[in-house]
Order: sequence, then structure tokens, then C-alpha cells
Amino acid sequence: MKETDLKRAYNNVLAQAISTSQKFLFAGNLFGDIFVLSLNELNKTNEEPPKKLKVFPQGCDVDINCLAFHRDFLIVGAIGLIYGIQWNEEEETLSTKRAWEIKIPMQVDAVEVPDVNSFWLCTETDSLYAGCGDGVVYKIDLEDGRIQREYRGHTDYVHCVVGHPDGRIYSSGEDGTVHFWSDKQKEPTAILEPHKNAQLLRPDWGKWIGAVSVNNDWLVCGGGPRPAIWHLRSMECTRTFDYPGRVHVCEFVDDSVLIGGEHNHVQFYTLNGALQANIPVEHTASYSAVWQTSPFNFMSIAGFSNKLHILKDFRFLDSKIEMYGNVQGDEVENEEQDDNDDDDDGEDDSF
Amino acid sequence: MNMEDLLSTQFVKLKQAMDDLFELKSAGHVLELKQSSGVLMFVALKHANRKVKRNIKSGRDELHLQKSKVDLSRLQLQNLLYEVSHLKKEIVRCQKFKSRDTYLELLSDKEYASKFADEGSDKTNMSDHQTHLYRLECELRLRKELDNQYSALLTSKQELLQDNLKQTQKYLSFAPALRTLLESTKPLHDALQLSLDVEWKLSSIFKYLPRALYILFINLQALQRTRKEFASKVVGFESDQQMQELLLETENTLKERRHFTEKSNSCEAVPDNTLDRVLKCHPLHIHLVIDSPDKSSELVLIVRYWELLKCVTVRAQLNSTNNSNFQGDANLVEDLLGHLYPDDTGDHIPIPGIEYELQNLNLTAEQCLEYLVENGFGKPYCWLQSMCSIATVNKKQHFKHEFNLHKWIRKVFTRILKRWRSWLRLTQQIRGLTYKDVDLSASKENIYPDGLSCSLVQWTAISSEEFNIQNAGLIYNLTPSNGITYTSYRAVIVRGSAKMECFIRIPSNYPLDIPLWILSVHWNGRHTSMNNAAIKMMEFWTNSLQPSQLKKGNRLLYSQLFRTIYSFDIFLETEGAMQTVREYNKEKPYISTFTKRIRLRPYKYIMKGSTFTFKQ
Repeated sequence: MKETDLKRAYNNVLAQAISTSQKFLFAGNLFGDIFVLSLNELNKTNEEPPKKLKVFPQGCDVDINCLAFHRDFLIVGAIGLIYGIQWNEEEETLSTKRAWEIKIPMQVDAVEVPDVNSFWLCTETDSLYAGCGDGVVYKIDLEDGRIQREYRGHTDYVHCVVGHPDGRIYSSGEDGTVHFWSDKQKEPTAILEPHKNAQLLRPDWGKWIGAVSVNNDWLVCGGGPRPAIWHLRSMECTRTFDYPGRVHVCEFVDDSVLIGGEHNHVQFYTLNGALQANIPVEHTASYSAVWQTSPFNFMSIAGFSNKLHILKDFRFLDSKIEMYGNVQGDEVENEEQDDNDDDDDGEDDSF
Repeated sequence: MNMEDLLSTQFVKLKQAMDDLFELKSAGHVLELKQSSGVLMFVALKHANRKVKRNIKSGRDELHLQKSKVDLSRLQLQNLLYEVSHLKKEIVRCQKFKSRDTYLELLSDKEYASKFADEGSDKTNMSDHQTHLYRLECELRLRKELDNQYSALLTSKQELLQDNLKQTQKYLSFAPALRTLLESTKPLHDALQLSLDVEWKLSSIFKYLPRALYILFINLQALQRTRKEFASKVVGFESDQQMQELLLETENTLKERRHFTEKSNSCEAVPDNTLDRVLKCHPLHIHLVIDSPDKSSELVLIVRYWELLKCVTVRAQLNSTNNSNFQGDANLVEDLLGHLYPDDTGDHIPIPGIEYELQNLNLTAEQCLEYLVENGFGKPYCWLQSMCSIATVNKKQHFKHEFNLHKWIRKVFTRILKRWRSWLRLTQQIRGLTYKDVDLSASKENIYPDGLSCSLVQWTAISSEEFNIQNAGLIYNLTPSNGITYTSYRAVIVRGSAKMECFIRIPSNYPLDIPLWILSVHWNGRHTSMNNAAIKMMEFWTNSLQPSQLKKGNRLLYSQLFRTIYSFDIFLETEGAMQTVREYNKEKPYISTFTKRIRLRPYKYIMKGSTFTFKQ
């Protein structure tokens, strides 16, 4: 299978981010490529075909696990490493050099370099919370790149971390728990274990919690167990959702809850648990959803497929955008390949 | 005082005197004195008259003088006028004048400068005309010299011809003697087992080969001396006479064809059987025999030259020496040659401008190709034309004219052999899998022999349609194939109650493209790359194996199979960890069951020293 075909068939997009200017969408995949989509192109009313994407390869050894955008930096979470790259808005280019790098410290008993699985960016305090493969959430000061605090408590790796500007942090992990943290307290303020709730447990799929999201009073989380809404103070499960797959994405979007994961649909539910919208996707599994409500409504859902799914009213699928095969300068690459035809070696089995 | 006044004063005076006299007379006076003074006046009058006469004469003389002057100047002017008209005529004539040298073909400026560089040193102060004249002079000289040389050469040529004639006659006189010598030494040849005859015969064939084939053949002969894998020979030769006849015939058909084109302009339709006549290939063709890498069969390439199409075609056939025909052999050769170079499938005639020449004959390139393929003459691949030093234009309009034939032919052969070897290895692997006559657990591609828990229970060929039906989702994502055909297989791998179906698609341009695997796990429902990310990652891991990553001696298909088997094991073991009733325990060495948000399983294997681990 040729490399281009291989990448098209097995493109796995784990992370997306929208720029501060709200004009560009970044999508990073496990092949180490970051695609940049100009959102203005989507909003055009005329009939012209939209411009192709730009791609900025980070090297094939870089797994892009998560992305965040801060000021004019794109922050990439890779394996054992967080780095920032400058985004030039005028020229629409990502710098090829890393502006800064933060290494995740290896634990004493660790055998493997931990992944950086999830970011939550607190713009009010300029701090970045990174949920990592060693089960620790690191609070990083973006001013000086210091690790300010480590939130220890998970017994397996962290899937997802979200928070509140007032210092409340919530992290979910492979160990099946959601830890509630406060910046004033070393120990977690509370621990939620959805798999202990018989109503939620789906035994074949395990106890892991793949995604968590909060608003002022409510928390939604899911993974192996069914997705459900919990009240933040009473810690009680008030509503469960009938999402048929494993959950990798759940978010509060306006007054509804978005749930996605290993299923050929992503779904919107009302807070009462009623299905609002059932959106078919091509992803084998959806791993990332980013959205904005101003200057215009826009949501992009990405996952294990070569297409970004774009929603404009959060109820219906608007368009699908191909990634590999829809990149500026593709044609030139093809030409170059032809020139290498004379290469006689390296195409056979090795002898 | 002018003449009129002179006379009139005299007359006035005379009249006065007369009047006075008349008065006096009428008064009766007679005055003698007055009369005499009056008479004197007549004298004065006479004097005045004479004076006037003289004046008139001198005036007339002067007039005459002036008149002659005027006449003279008039004459001069006339002369001038005449001269002007004459000059005008002269100018016109000058203008109409053309020197003969303008009709001469002169040397170009550059040549002239180089030939007469030393002589024309003083031409800086010459006018254009002068330099031209000088140049003409020089060239005249040169021409004369050359003419001399020419005649000298002509005479020497004549002499040589004469000489030649003499020598030929001389040698011809030897012929009968030599012939008798040959006859008489024949028994000696036989006794010594010399094969001089054969070589003579061969070289006599060469001269009838068309240019392209001749070039190919000579190069092959040269290569044959160093490499033993192949042999070449010219086929179609019977006798000199037959050859001559054939050549004559071709010439005739050529003429006929010309005639035919003239005719065909009037009647448009070309009957199909004429294609046979018009396209006729050269009677001689080259047989090229290549031994297979394992010496079990030989590949015969029949190279023909087509006068009209100006290209060569190759038809291949496989002669097996030990009748062990297996599936895929029939297409093997065609696939081998058709995909030797990318985008060179021989589906068009790669000769520049051939369409137009064919158009003149009311033919199309497609028609000709169809004819070639239908009648089993093979295809005109670009690489083949290059072997015969024929310029080609490929589908992308790249022009190529190979001159380093020696290198190119060697390269093509190496490539054919290499491809063939890969194919043989592949067919061997497939045969091994189909008939299960390989011990998989002992195979060297088995990376972790202790941990092989799955078993391959079935490997069968399926039709492409079946393959496409099974895997509609993924095929849709791939770039369209150009001229590549696929053979598909279905493999079944079993472990406990779990079953995995693998659909394998092998492209005809292997090993340019490598086999594609599509997996489908049947265990608590059907899991494919369409509905299960873990299966999709597994499939990616299998398909991402590139031949360049293989260890020395490892076979691709087996390596892919083992990758798949281990991935399946890992899948079951990691999936099983969550089951309430465990069916599969962890048997493989891996550190973490899942990593990342996608819950990636440790499909990859790494060898660190002697320890073997699976990793994400």
C-alpha cells in the first residue's frame, strides 16, 4: 500500500484547536501532521470551491495527542513533551521551529515515557493543565514554562482534564474515576466512580472514563460506562444517556450535551436525556470536537477517518472536509514521485 | 543728347530761319545774309544726320553683339538640359544595376572570418564595398583551390576504383581454388568438430535484421558474454535467397502501400484484413530466453519489429521445465512486463508522431494495438523501445531516447529478474499458505515463537467481486488503480471462540505495491475497521509494513501474516482483560494494556537485546 493511500485510509485525528482570532482550525493526527483550515473559507457564500488545507508536518515520530491555542502559539501535546509553535496569522504559516518545549518529568517507577493526553487551558491565569499518561495532571505556568503543581491520585493514565477558572479541576482516567480537584487542596476534593453504578456499567467495555465536561452545576462524563449527568455538589447521577458506543467526547454545548465516541454517529441530547440530534459521521471513532458560537456558529468533529465533519447549527451535518488528498501543493508532490521512477532498489522484498 | 533731339533742334532752328526768311520775303526784303546763314544750317543738319546715322550703326553693331551673346548662353543652357536628362538616365541605369556576385552563395560571416582571419588585417579602413570586393576575391581564390582539390580527389577516386577493380579481379581469381580447398578440408572440420559454419551463418543473418533489432541483438550478444542468465537468437531465417525475397517483398508492400494510400484517399473504408497486410512485421525476430532465478522455468521473450509502427513489441511466454504449474502463472508474465516500470503498461504506441502517420493510412493507433494484442504479438512497452534505441514519448509526454544501451539493457534485465524473483517468492508463500505445507511456527518471520496462540486454518483464493463486496468501505478510500489488477485471498485465523477473517488483495504490480490486508474479527459480533477503532489500528499496523523494513531474508507476506496474527492475539488478550468471564489471559509481554485517549493497544513489537516486548 502506498504511503499516501495508507495515510488516507488510516488517518487518526486526536486533537483540534481553534486559533485566538477564531479564524483557523488546527487538526493534528497520529502521523504527526497538523492540518490548518481557514474558517472563512467555510463561511463563503459564493460557489467557488473552498481552498485546500495547509499541512505542517511535525515529524513522523511525533504523535499529536492534544492541541491547544494560546495567544499566538499552538501548543502541541506529544509523548512526554509539550511544545509551542508560533502561528503567523498574516502568512498563515506555522513556524517550523518549536518556540518552547516542556518535558514531562519521568516518574521514578515509570517504564515508559508518558503521553500528554489532554489539555485544559485557563486563559485567566495563563496556566495549562495537562493530563498525562503517568496518571498525573500537571499545572504548567505558561509565563515561564514551570510545572506549578502536580495533581496525583489517578492509578492509571488520564484521559481527559477540564476545569473552571475559579480553580476547580476535574480529571477522568483509565482507572474509571473522575477526580475533583481544588487548587487549595492537595488531595482530591471528591472522587466519582461511575462504573460502580450498575445502571451505567457496561461490563464488556471496561470502567475507563474517556471524557468529562462541566458547567456551573453539572458534570457529564462517560467512557466504557454509559455517559451520564452528575450534580456537582450532591454527586448524584441525575440522568443517563443512551449513547450506543464507547464515549471519547462529551461536551456541554449551549443547552445540550454532545456525545461522541466509537460509533458511527455523534449525538446531541437535552439535559433531560432526550435525543436532540443524531449526526452520522464517517469516523470509526470520534475523538475530538471543537466549537465556537461567535463570530459564527461552527463545530468540527474529528476522529479516526480522513474527514473533518463540520456543523454550523449544531444540529445537522454541514459538510465533510477531506484532509489527505486535499492539501495545498499535492500535485507537485506527485510530480516529484515520478522522477524517482528510476530507483531500482528498495522496492523488492529484501533478500 | 539723343539723336531725335539732335535732329529736332536742327529742324527747329531751320524752321525758324525759314519762317524768318518767309517773313522777310513776304515783307519784300531780300536779305542775302540771312539766306547764307540759313544755308549754313543745312550743313549743320547734314552733320547731325551723319552723326545720327553713325549712332544707329554703332547701336546696330552693339545689338548684334548682344544677340550673339544671348544665342551663346541659350546654347549652353540647352547643353545643360541635355546633360541633366542624360545623367538622370544614367542614375536609373545605375539603380537598375545588379552585380552578379549577389547571386553567389557566399560563406557565412563566421566561416569567412575563420578562414581569412589572417589576410583581412587591413580591412578596418576599407569601406563596406571594398571589403565585400575583397571578400569576393578571397572566396574566388578559395573556390579555385577547392575546385582543384576536387578534381584531384576525383582523379584519385578514379584511380582507387580502378585499383579496387583490379584487386577484386585478382581475388576473384582465387575463389575457385579456395572453394576446392574448403571442400577438401570439410572432413577435417568434422573431425575436429569445429562449428565455423554456424557462426558464418549467424553473421550472415545479422545483415538482414532491421536497425532496431540489430542494435538490440548486438548489445545482447555483448552482454551474453558476461552473464549466463539469458541467451538470444535470431529466428525466422531460412536461406539467403529466402531473405532476399522477403526483403524484396517488404519493399514491394511498401510501394504498394504508397500506392494504396493514394487509392484509399478516394475510397474511405479500410477493410479489416488489410491491417494484416499493412502492419506486417519484419520476418526476422529475436528470441530471448531468460532462466528463472530458481532454474525451474524459462521466460521466452519474442521481440518483433514493426516497420510501419516503427516500434518493437515483445511477447512473453513461460516455459516450465518441470511442469509444476500453479495458479497465477498465466498472468504472471504479463503482469511482470506490464508493471516493470510505473505507467508503462504498453497501452499506447510510444513513438512520437505515429498517430499522424497512421492517420495518413486511415488507421488509428488503437486499431493497431488491438491487432497486435489479438494476434499475440505482445505490447510496445517504452522500456523495450529504449532497449532498441528507439525514441519514445510516454503517456505523460516525456520524451526519452536512450543511448547508453549497454547499461539500460542490463538494468532492465536486473529488474525483470528481481521482479521475477519477488513473484516467485510470493507465489511460493501463497502456495505454502494455501496447501499448508509450511510450518508457520518454525518460520523465521515468526517474531515471537513462544507466544503464537492463534492458528491459520484456511487460505483460499476468492474473486475480486467477493473481495469488493466484503470491503466496500475501505476500497472507496484508495486512489484509483491504473491498469493494475488484483488477486484476492481469504484467510481465516482462529483462537478459541474468536475467529478473524483476513481479506488479502495482491496487486499485479507487486512489489511496487504490496498486498493489502483487510481484517474482520468475529467475536461477540463482527468487528471491522468500520466499527471498531482497535481493529482499524490493527489493520494499519499490518498494512504499514514496508518491504524496506523487513529483516534480511524475511518474506513479506509471511511477515504481514505474523504481524496480523500477533495483533489479533494482543487484541483478544487486551479485550479479554475487561471481560467478566476471561477467555484470553495475558500471554504476551507488554507493559500497559492501553495508552492514549484512543486506548491504543500494544501491537508494535520491539526487540531490545534478547528481551521481546509489545508496545504501543
